[in-house]
Amino acid sequence: MPALNGLEQEEVTAAPDSNFQRFCAAHGILSVEDFLLHDVYALVALAEREVNSEELKQGINQVLAFIDTQHKPWLNGLELLEDARQNKHLLPTGCQGLDLLLKGGLLEGQLTELVGASSCGKTQICLLAASNVTYKHMSSVVYLDTCNSFSPKRVAYFIGVLNPTLKQVRCGILERIMANILCKSVFNIFELFDTLDQLQTKLRDQARSSDHKVRLLVIDSISSVIAPILGGNMAYGRSLMISAGFLLKRIAYEHNLSVLVILVSSAYKELINKCIGGCLDENVAACVVTNHMVGGNVGSLKPALGESWKGVAHTRLLLSRVNRTNKCSISVLKHPSMARGNSVDFLIPEENF
Amino acid sequence: MEVSGLPLSASQRAKLASAGYTTLSSLSSISSQHLARDLNVSNEEALQILNVVMRTGRFSDLAGASIVAGAQSAWDMLLEEEHNKHITTSCGDLDKILGGGISCKEVTEIGGIPGIGKTQLGIQLAINVQIPFDYGGLGGKAIYIDTEGSFMAERVFQVAEGCIEDMLKLNVSQLKDLETLKEKMHPNTFLANIFYFRACSYTEQIAVINHLEKFVSEHKDVRIVVIDSVTFHFRQDFEDMALRTRLLSGMASKLMKLAKQFSLAVVILNQVTMKFIDGSFQLTLALGDSWSHACTNRVILYWNGNERHAYIDKSPSLRSQSAPYAVTSKGIRDVVSNCKRIRMM
Repeated sequence: MPALNGLEQEEVTAAPDSNFQRFCAAHGILSVEDFLLHDVYALVALAEREVNSEELKQGINQVLAFIDTQHKPWLNGLELLEDARQNKHLLPTGCQGLDLLLKGGLLEGQLTELVGASSCGKTQICLLAASNVTYKHMSSVVYLDTCNSFSPKRVAYFIGVLNPTLKQVRCGILERIMANILCKSVFNIFELFDTLDQLQTKLRDQARSSDHKVRLLVIDSISSVIAPILGGNMAYGRSLMISAGFLLKRIAYEHNLSVLVILVSSAYKELINKCIGGCLDENVAACVVTNHMVGGNVGSLKPALGESWKGVAHTRLLLSRVNRTNKCSISVLKHPSMARGNSVDFLIPEENF
Repeated sequence: MEVSGLPLSASQRAKLASAGYTTLSSLSSISSQHLARDLNVSNEEALQILNVVMRTGRFSDLAGASIVAGAQSAWDMLLEEEHNKHITTSCGDLDKILGGGISCKEVTEIGGIPGIGKTQLGIQLAINVQIPFDYGGLGGKAIYIDTEGSFMAERVFQVAEGCIEDMLKLNVSQLKDLETLKEKMHPNTFLANIFYFRACSYTEQIAVINHLEKFVSEHKDVRIVVIDSVTFHFRQDFEDMALRTRLLSGMASKLMKLAKQFSLAVVILNQVTMKFIDGSFQLTLALGDSWSHACTNRVILYWNGNERHAYIDKSPSLRSQSAPYAVTSKGIRDVVSNCKRIRMM
């Protein structure tokens, strides 16, 4: 929320004047946030005691009007359903077992979390999903890598499996596909915030320019950047963790936001889609986060980051690998529309490109 | 973006919040004098805060057309990776399963029981990284962080001699003046190019690792950092396990960053421990499950009968497989059946 004296820049036509600002500052109100926390009736009562009470009350009303413009308009269930059908598609990951389990793939607009012990195939699934989404949908993937484990060779291999002809001709097609996967290394929570902030801004702009839409955001792995700030009496670390989680959810949901504001625009897009073959879609996408397993009670493993992170992701999947083979099994720990405990087995392809 | 997501000190954050600066945009078009007055801090401190704000991607010019500033496409990375040289282990079989050797830009963890040859491999890599370009090497320098005190200069000299001997043997046909070359590649040069740090406590170890970024930016030709071993100080006298996890994961992120930023290889040596899995005790690497995520690749060294073997336990791009290797007087080498016999007698 902006500072009170910054409201002029926020394109508010009737910004509060300097007298009002001074009045608020005298009561410790410097930002719109402070204003919200303050009792409005008490503030009005205080204003009445001042000489220019009328002016001040008008200022209060102006800020209240500004706050009113900030909330999002309401939607009814039918509109939500329509939005879900139109814009929240399932993105196939290319991993048959997983797609079968999730009845089609990762749901756009939602946060999916992969949990698993070290070297159980989390990164492999991320790489496979990234390859599949770029290849099949001709859309971009943003891959945030915190443990230097993004392997372009593996991506080239996975794309080669999808289209064997690309194996021989290492030509422009493979280049164009792979150019759509953007990988960025992130080594601490602040870099993560910075990157997500940029991504958010760019995605808003992107609604206008219409080349390859970002449909998948992968973060491999989130616990590497959060673990160093957690624990002890560091409440700040916890708050950073939670806000990172909700920022991710918001970015995933953002797409919904653009539809809410201008429902017409959605229909307009549909028209364009029809004209150019229909494979373009709006903004974001499903979001994949990988998480670690850490030691729990005697010999058992539990997902990292504890209880408060548990509520963040929409879907949480547990990955495990049969000792020293490429056989993996994946099961649902949490899903908005599926029973917990469903599981499926699959193989991670072994040979290299 | 909220101000809380900026790398500022707690007191600066509190001052900003109490003066009403909660978002990044509220700080975007403000002068340092103005901020200094509002926060009641010195002009320098205000300038410092604004610098942090300006360094974020939102205000940097780099952003340009790319969706995320500083991101690289998978294609560019693939091309880069193809030109990337690996650091050979001097053992053909081992190089083969590692895809050519230890790769730069990655953190590789090597673990095994005492006496299996972890330190030997560490020393070998610190020498091999210096093999000149003409001989298919990287021509770089090495940093060796020793926490256990097991780095032996005499042994390093031996390994360097062995390495030079092998290089000359390979190239003897195409070289005219062998003598001048021999002089140029004296074992002493190899030893001089290893920067050795001794860390006697975990605080020293963390201090050294924090210092590395500055050190490497001054010595750009460093191509490998070996930590022998990461475990030693963290296995003893540690009561607060949560603190240990926090320190270790912070250290892991710093090493990851170092590897990527300066495109060098980080090799971490780790000890083993017994763990109770599925009703029986099994050998696993030390420092617990949360540390097990801290590396890009993990290689486990073990005895298979009388032969030493290395197994790739974790890697995003390599298949899990194992290969035999030997520790000889010259260093790490391929297994030759005779050599094994000699060692046994």
